[in-house]
Amino acid sequence: MAFNYDQYLRLEKMPTLWCWGCGDGVILKAVVRAIENVGWKQDDVAVVSGIGCSGRFSSYVDFNTVHTTHGRTVAFATGIKLANPDKHVICVAGDGDALAIGGNHTIHAARRNIDINFIMINNFIYGLTNSQTSPTTPQGMWSVTMKRGNIDPTFDGAELAIAAGASFVARETVLDPKKLEKIFIKGFQHRGFSFFDILSNCHINLGRKNKMASAMDNLNWIDKITVSKTKYDKLSEEEQLNLFPTGVLKHDDEAAEFCDMYEELKKKYQNNEKFTQDDFKKKI
Amino acid sequence: MALIEAPENTPVWLDESRCKACDICVSVCPAGTLAMEYDSSSTLGAMVRIIAPESCIGCNDCELHCPDFAIYVADKKEYKFAKLTEESKARAAAIKANNYMVIK
Repeated sequence: MAFNYDQYLRLEKMPTLWCWGCGDGVILKAVVRAIENVGWKQDDVAVVSGIGCSGRFSSYVDFNTVHTTHGRTVAFATGIKLANPDKHVICVAGDGDALAIGGNHTIHAARRNIDINFIMINNFIYGLTNSQTSPTTPQGMWSVTMKRGNIDPTFDGAELAIAAGASFVARETVLDPKKLEKIFIKGFQHRGFSFFDILSNCHINLGRKNKMASAMDNLNWIDKITVSKTKYDKLSEEEQLNLFPTGVLKHDDEAAEFCDMYEELKKKYQNNEKFTQDDFKKKI
Repeated sequence: MALIEAPENTPVWLDESRCKACDICVSVCPAGTLAMEYDSSSTLGAMVRIIAPESCIGCNDCELHCPDFAIYVADKKEYKFAKLTEESKARAAAIKANNYMVIK
C-alpha cells in the first residue's frame, strides 16, 4: 500500500509541465497529503492560482480551481470565501505574484485576517519568463535584468505578512517534505489568514547562471541560507544576516476572523444594531 | 484514506512515464537502492533504476521528495524492510560520487 495521489490529480494533465526537479511538485504533493490528513472533501476545497510557474498548480489538482490574472489570486479568493464561508480556499502564488504585482492584495488580505490559506512559492526569480529580478532575488545574483549582479534589497514575505497582521505565518523549504506537510496541516486547521513562505528551487532559471545548475546544488544552497527558528533566535544579530528562520513564525488564535465578523455584522443589522468603536478595543 | 495496491513483494516501484530524471530521489536515498542509468528512450537521456530493492529501509524519502509522482514506497506493515547496513551506506556514497549513475 502506498498513498494514492491520483485521486487528487487531473491525470490527463500528467506529467506536469514543470522542469525536472522543480520544487513546485514537492509542494503540490505536500498540499495533497495535508488535505487528506485534515480530512477535507475535494468538493469543499477551492484552489486559486495566478500567473507564473506556480499558476499551473491549479491545473493539476482535482479540486474546484480558478486560474486567475497576475497577482489577483487573493482578490478572487476573497470573493470565493465570502460567498462560501464554510468552504476552504487555498491560494497559490509565486514570489512575483504575491509580493510584486499582487503585493497590495496580499497585505490587505493579511490585514483583514480572512480565512484563506496563502501559499507563496518563493523561488527567488521570475522563472516562467526567464530570469528577471523578482522582489526576493538575493543581492549579487545574476538575472536577465541585472546582468552585473542584483543590487535591489530583498523583500521578506513572511515578515511582511506578520507586520500586516496575518494570524498564522510559517516558512519552510522543499528540502523537508515531512515538515512541509506538518506546517500545511497546522495552517489549514487555523482559522484566519495563513501565510506560508515556501522556499523552492529554480535550478533552471536561477541556478544555471548562479553556479547551481542541478536541482541538488540549488537545494543545498537553500539549505545553507535557512536555519530553524529556535536556532535562529539563539544567534547573534551579525550571524542572523542573510539567514531565513524556518518553522511557525507567528500563530495567533485570538485574532478575529473576517468572515465571522461579517456574520456578526449581518446579525446586528437584522436586529437594527450597529458596530461602534467601543466594540473594537485594541492598542493602536 | 486513498491508497494504492503495491505490486507483490516490492518495497519500491516506479512510474517511468512520469519520471523526468532529476536525480533527487537518488541523492536522498540513504541505502543505495536507487541509481540513474543511461536510457536513450528517456527525455533527459537517463532513467532511475531500482538496483538493490533488498537494501531498501522504507524511509519514504524518495517518494516524498519526488516532484513528479513517479516513485512509490510500500507501507511498513506490508513489507519487511532491511536495516541500514555499512555496505548499503557505502554503495549510496559511491553512487553519489559517480554523479548519481549506476556503478558497473
